[in-house]
Amino acid sequence: MNAPDPVARLRVLAAGLRAPLYAEATLGLPFDQVWAVIADLEGELPHLVSFVREFRVPPGDSEHKTAQAVDVLGLRGPFDVRLSPGWCLMQSRLVTMGVAAAPDGPGTRLAVCGAARPAALGPVQRVYRRLLGGRRTRAFFREVERRAALR
Amino acid sequence: MDEDVRPWDVAAPLVRAAQRGDAFAMDDLLKLVTPYVTRLCTPIAPADTADAVQESLVAVFRGLRGLRDPQAVYGWVRAVTVREAVRVARRTAGETPAAPEEIARLQDLLPGVGGGELSAEVRDLLVRLPVQHRTVLVLRELEGLDERTTAELLGVPEGTVKSRLNRARSSFRKAWTR
Repeated sequence: MNAPDPVARLRVLAAGLRAPLYAEATLGLPFDQVWAVIADLEGELPHLVSFVREFRVPPGDSEHKTAQAVDVLGLRGPFDVRLSPGWCLMQSRLVTMGVAAAPDGPGTRLAVCGAARPAALGPVQRVYRRLLGGRRTRAFFREVERRAALR
Repeated sequence: MDEDVRPWDVAAPLVRAAQRGDAFAMDDLLKLVTPYVTRLCTPIAPADTADAVQESLVAVFRGLRGLRDPQAVYGWVRAVTVREAVRVARRTAGETPAAPEEIARLQDLLPGVGGGELSAEVRDLLVRLPVQHRTVLVLRELEGLDERTTAELLGVPEGTVKSRLNRARSSFRKAWTR
């Protein structure tokens, strides 16, 4: 097991980050179809995460990129992005977000993780928890599935 | 790993950054220690290496902030891993397989197998699944227990139930469609 599957890997990171948000779900669509939605960060992320209004990603196939996010509070900031099949880790000065996926039979196991950076102030952590609570994660999974089904 | 570079020299700066909450450093550290953790877990928990590795890694990263000396990371990873791997290996010995009549009801999970009788193929396929996979399948799919209750019943963490269930469903389907 030198390369744990991405979902197991994200579970470990969530434990390390003491992430207030971590959830998994199995979607009834094939991996490639689901991952196409996640990998299209610029086109899809604003649909999937309610507080991200705009996410600009430089073009190209590089696995490491710096994207620009604009959230509903108007905060603008660079996000470092690591993207590869089944794995997406994004980090700004304030927050970390991870999405991982692995084929699960005919469907796809999808996991999402969100955490505030420890350097950030307490209130940010609380706001983030509210923005990405349990209801939001279920909405996230539903929306990924809905948008993947359209592809 | 390069023989000339001491592994803790590579790990120490990653540990410091990870302790500050840098997820990328944590991810790099995870990649760095996973082969070592796997090497330790394989002989200690041969029947449950994947669980042992996963639980060791979770324990390592959960405790990372408390590690005072980043240079000591490998010794500390070893201590945590051995403790977790032994716990996982002992746990397995105490488990009991599901009763045959319960396993028999699993046929409902399979497409194209109807009626009250368990076909020989399904029985054969189930017997070939590891005991713990059979057990989680039965508790979760047939008894309808949620993951937390299943975890309490088996005396394992909820995360293990989740991962075993994933593997059980996947190998069950794979074996069936083969």
